[in-house]
This record gives sequence, C-alpha cells and structure tokens, in this order.
Amino acid sequence: MSASALTITNARLLDPASGRDEIGAIHLEDGRIAAIGADAAPKPTSSRETFDAGGLCLAPGLVDLRVKTGEPGEEHRETVATASAAALAGGVTTIVLMPDTQPVIDDVALVKYLHAPNPDPHATPVTTRIEVAGALTLGLEGEAMAEIGLMREAGAALFTNGDEPVTNPTVLKRTMAYAASQDVLVACRPDTRQLRGSGVMNAGAFAARLGLSGIPSEAEWIGAARDLMLAEVTGCRLLLDQVSTPRTLDLLADAKARGLPVYTTVAAHHLYFNEGDVGDYLTYCKVNPPFRTESDRLALIEAVKSGLIDAVVSAHDPQPPETKRLPIAEASFGAAGLETSLAALLSLVHAGHLSLLEALRPLTSGPADLIGKPQGRLAPGAPADLVLFDPAAPWKCTREALRSRSTNSPFDGRLLQGRVERTLLAGHTAFQRPTN
Amino acid sequence: MSAAPRAAFDHPHLLGLQSLHRLDIETILDLADHYASLARENRRGPAVLKNKTVINLFFENSTRTMSSFEIAAKRLGADVINMPVDSSSVKKGETLIDTAMTLNAMKPDVIVIRHSASGGVKLLSRKVDCAVINAGDGTHEHPTQGLLDTLTIRRNKGRIEGLTVTICGDVVHSRVARSTTYALHQLGARVRLCGPRTLLPADARDWGAETVTADFEKGLKNADVVMMLRLQLERMNGAYLPSRREYFHFYGLTRARLAMAAPDAIVMHPGPMNRGVEIESAIADGPTSVITEQVEMGVAIRMAVLDLLAGSNTDTTASTGNGAGAKP
Repeated sequence: MSASALTITNARLLDPASGRDEIGAIHLEDGRIAAIGADAAPKPTSSRETFDAGGLCLAPGLVDLRVKTGEPGEEHRETVATASAAALAGGVTTIVLMPDTQPVIDDVALVKYLHAPNPDPHATPVTTRIEVAGALTLGLEGEAMAEIGLMREAGAALFTNGDEPVTNPTVLKRTMAYAASQDVLVACRPDTRQLRGSGVMNAGAFAARLGLSGIPSEAEWIGAARDLMLAEVTGCRLLLDQVSTPRTLDLLADAKARGLPVYTTVAAHHLYFNEGDVGDYLTYCKVNPPFRTESDRLALIEAVKSGLIDAVVSAHDPQPPETKRLPIAEASFGAAGLETSLAALLSLVHAGHLSLLEALRPLTSGPADLIGKPQGRLAPGAPADLVLFDPAAPWKCTREALRSRSTNSPFDGRLLQGRVERTLLAGHTAFQRPTN
Repeated sequence: MSAAPRAAFDHPHLLGLQSLHRLDIETILDLADHYASLARENRRGPAVLKNKTVINLFFENSTRTMSSFEIAAKRLGADVINMPVDSSSVKKGETLIDTAMTLNAMKPDVIVIRHSASGGVKLLSRKVDCAVINAGDGTHEHPTQGLLDTLTIRRNKGRIEGLTVTICGDVVHSRVARSTTYALHQLGARVRLCGPRTLLPADARDWGAETVTADFEKGLKNADVVMMLRLQLERMNGAYLPSRREYFHFYGLTRARLAMAAPDAIVMHPGPMNRGVEIESAIADGPTSVITEQVEMGVAIRMAVLDLLAGSNTDTTASTGNGAGAKP
C-alpha cells in the first residue's frame, strides 16, 4: 500500500506558473503538494516514502480542455476508462470531456454522471480527474439554449457547441449574454459551416493536386470575427476552440489588446503537422480544422511562445477503423491525441522553437487557469498531480502500442523524442512505464 | 359624503406615464384612493360619466383589463361598448386608422385601446376627437397598471418616497415594468430591475431604475416591495432562456429568497401568474401578497382616469370631507 506522504528527490522541477526550473525535491502529503524546492525539508513522517527521480523532468500533470470519448453512447470508440488510461500514459491528469455524445451532455443529470473531479487514486484502474463541458445549446442543435446555470452548479467546467458553430447569430448572442450573467466560459469553434462546405483538407494548391475539396482559412476567420464581436457585445468570456490560421490570431490579439476576456486553444497536432502530411490521402491526418500550411504552423508556434495561445489541447477524437478506413473524403474527421500531446510539444523544444517552460505552460497552468482549477502548478496546496518525463528519450509511436480504444493517431509510425516515465494523481502513481 | 379630491389634470389622453409630471400622478392616485374607499364602503359616487360612451377597443385579448375598465366605466354611469378583436373589422382587412375613423364618427367620449404594437395607441389617438386611454401597447406602456401598482404600494406603505422596489422578470418585453418604473421613479422610489441578461433592456437605467442586475438575490436585499413579472412561456423558444426550471431556480420568488427582502416586504404581480415559474404558490397566496388588492386598485385607478379625462363635475356634491389620501 502506498504511503500518504511521498518525497521525490533529484528532479528537474518545472513549473510554468512560477517560472521555476531547478533541480530539487518535492514533498507530497494527503494528495497535495506540501513543500517544494531545492532546500525544502519534509516534515518527519513515519510512513514517508522517497524516490530518486534521477534528474528527470517533473512537471504538473497535463490539463486537457478538449477530449472526446464515446461514453455514453458509442463505447466502441472509447470509454472514459480507456481514455483515462491513454491520458495517464501521456502525462494528462485532468481531462475535460466534450458534450457531443449520445445523448448529448445538455442536462444536469448527465453532467453529474460524468463529472469526477476527485477520483480515488487507489481505484483499479485509476481514472484521471474528469471535468465536463456542458452543451451550449439543446442537443447541440444551435437553436435553444441549454440549462447553462443549472449545469454550472452541477459542476460543468465550460460550455461549448462541440464541433459545430452556433450558426444563428441571434441564438449565439442571447446565449452568450446569458452565459455572461452566469459567469461561465463559452468555447466556440471559429468556423463558418457554409464556407467549410464538404471540404476535406486545407484549401490550396496541395488540395487541388490531390483532387480534394478544400476548407478555406476564411471559414475560420469569419467565424472567429463574429464570435469575438458577439463576445464584446455581451461581455461573455469566450474561448476560441482550436485556431489554425495566423489571421485568426491577429483578430484575437486585437481583442485581447482591448481588454476583452477572450482566450484561445490550439490542438497539439496543429503545431506538429502541416497540410503536406496528408500526403498519400492519410485519413489519420483528416482533422477539423485541417492541417494548414507550414508558415501557418510556424505562426501558431510563435503564438504559443508569445503566450497569445492560452492552452494546447489534444483534441482527442477516437475514431474506429470503420470510420477511418475509407476514401479520405468519406472518412470521419478526428485524431487520437492524448498520448502524444507532450511529445508533440517536446519536439518543438528539441527543434529550438520553445523552452521547456514555454512548451509546458499551455499544457498545465494555462488550461487550469481557464477553467479555474487549482491543479496545473507546482505550488504548496495544489493537487499532487505530476508527470515525470525524460525529455530526451527517443521512441517510435505505433498505433498498436497506444492505449486508446481507437488508435487513429497521425503520429502513427513517427519517431518522437521525450516520453512519460511516471504519472502521479493525487500523490499516487497512476501510470508507470513498464521497463523493457 | 366626502368630496372627490380634485386637481387640474390638463391632458387630453392617458398614453403613458413617462411624460406625466409627479403632480399629475398624485392627482390620479388621490382620486383613485377616494374611489377605492367608496367601493370598500359599498357606496357609489356621483355618475360623472352619465350619458357618456366608453368604447373598449381591444386588439389583444385581455379579459382582466377589459373587465376592469368596463366595471370602472359602469360604476361612473357610462355606457360601455366592448369591442374585442374577434368581433372587430380588423379581421376583414380594415386598417387601424380606418377603424379609428369609423369609431370616431360614432362620437364616443372615451376610447380605451389595447394594441399589440408599441405606438399603436398613440397613432390612433391622433385620429380621433375623444379621450384615449392606453390599456397597453406592445412592449411600450401600460399606464393604468403602473398607476395601480403605485397606488397599491402607497396604501400599504403609506408613502412611495424612499422605498426600495424590486421588479424581477422579463423586463425587456414588459410594458408593466416600464410604466411602473416611470411612476415609482417620479414619486421618489428606488427601483431595482432584475432578470436574466437576455431579458434586461440595455437602457434600463434611463428609465429611472437605480440598479439593473442579473443577480436577483442581490436585487432583493432589503427591498420593501417585490414585484414579479409574468414570464411569457414562449421565451423558451427564442433562446432567451434555457428552461422553466432554470428560470425558477435563479429568478423564482421562493420563501427563502423573500426572506432576503425587508421583513415587512409586500409581494406584487400584475397577473396572470405562472405559479412555479416566477413565483411559489405559497407566496402568491400568502400574507405578504397584495396581488388581489392590485386588482381592486385597478378598478379605482381606471375610475379616476376616466373621471379626469371625461367626467363632468357639475353634479359633484360639494362638502368639506377629508379627501382620502390627499397629501399636503
């Protein structure tokens, strides 16, 4: 049985919230961080365990604001349990579940059914902390407001219309106004459905050569501009969910400069892949928004570095072979991502784009702050959710080795550098990489 | 018998309260108070509308308001013709102005009009030669309701000046909220308007409200009067609100919430009520409720307005009684 007190010594402590990057020890008690730092001494406790981290990196467990499972309704894609296993293997300790399930999470009872912010770390198997994104509109149909206030009281962390924008601006405006008075965070996919049409990949020369219909950038800008303006009119706290183009970032920077409470996420795979990776009609690279051009990708990385992007999400969307093993135009959108977010960001560190702290901020304190949670930081009193990783370890991502029930990862076959060795949830080891 | 308290009322119509002076409002309230006292004593005043014709022209259904005007006019001795929309010519394609011209040609003395369009009553008033009383136009004004609310408060609290009155609900679509706020503000009350952001108007401070808030419990604090507005249930369809139960959860008047108001707070509602949506039944029927008194004051207010606009004072018996409710 594990002790309720644990000390990890000789770790490279990385805390983006405070800027800490030093070798030292961290002391955990009763599921929380008790003391931290090079010279912090533990309180004497008879049951205290200690282990030497061997100089590996120790960071707050990752907080992922956009995770889909198939539960309830499509458990053949993924369950909360299988998603949890994948998350913990990827160093993710808090996941926010999207409401587009069957039935849609637009009801207090469904929020309560899924919401598990403090799971038992002794359970077998252990699950991550589960937060829930409530549906913004009933059935995600974009016509009638869902019970935002009651779901907030039931624990919903934010509200979203899922993959689809709310097309009707009057509905969105009223819903934002109501959400503002409930002081909730509203996440919108910046998108214009009619401009996206039946597009498959980024619009442009590459799509034209492949004979595929394109998703133009302006589908995103126009949607983003509208959503930002409605947020300004209503005072709503708005999260632009997964931006993919620099022009959207310009709109966002302008809104932020005017003091509006607007934020954005980018999916980890958009920082790693570009449209060229669709290559030979790879359906695992079919995502919405699509992988854009290389210059777009570099602009997104720059925005992570500058702090304009508040959070990086996995956009984990498990799709089974029957929806992916199809001609690309007929295949579903979506990529599994829980196990590769950290490696994707570490690749940017190795490429010299980001420092370790710059890469970790949008994975930890950035998203935790957006949903007002105490995790995501190495601070006394914070939940002892930690990820121990070797930033240099090389590995090959193969779909057979992924823990997710659906293994539609665009990283399949890729050589990556940096992997999770151990994940702690509430002070207990929830994942440990098997030794080969 | 006590004399009706009379003061000059120099207006041809009663279209709204926004444009009325404090003294005009007090004149109506004082006279209405007199009529209310007479009614409680089961007495009738002089038939100041004898041989006069009052037409109730209602383009929107309202049994309550039309009955109230009808009773008021009849108590003053008038001949009353009710013209609800079903039997009017509107359905045959006649325009609003044609209807007005036709009625005007019949030489009525007062036309009481309810219309679903804001400004509709004002338009008609320009086309006729008699007095027009607005019985509710769209989401604009409902002056007799605002006056009866004010009178009910004054009779229960003895004053208006300095009182805190919280009005909660669908403010943006409410002609009652507008008229009542104008009147209470004119008489020196502090009005707080509460409701979900989607149902609060952008300019509510300009109405004279001291506070406009989406936080009902904050708005209730130490209120002397709590007035709940009727929630139109079709608001659920326009993305104004999520559901009845969420509305009740945040904006329904419950006993726990009422306890946040002043200990002697009174509860009002213009009716008809949605029990369990904006108000708990126990409160609607409870000792703090003055909802039925509002209905009673409605008749008195309408008598006073009809009298001031069209009454003949020639047969008023002069005596030196104390004018009920008359203030120095």
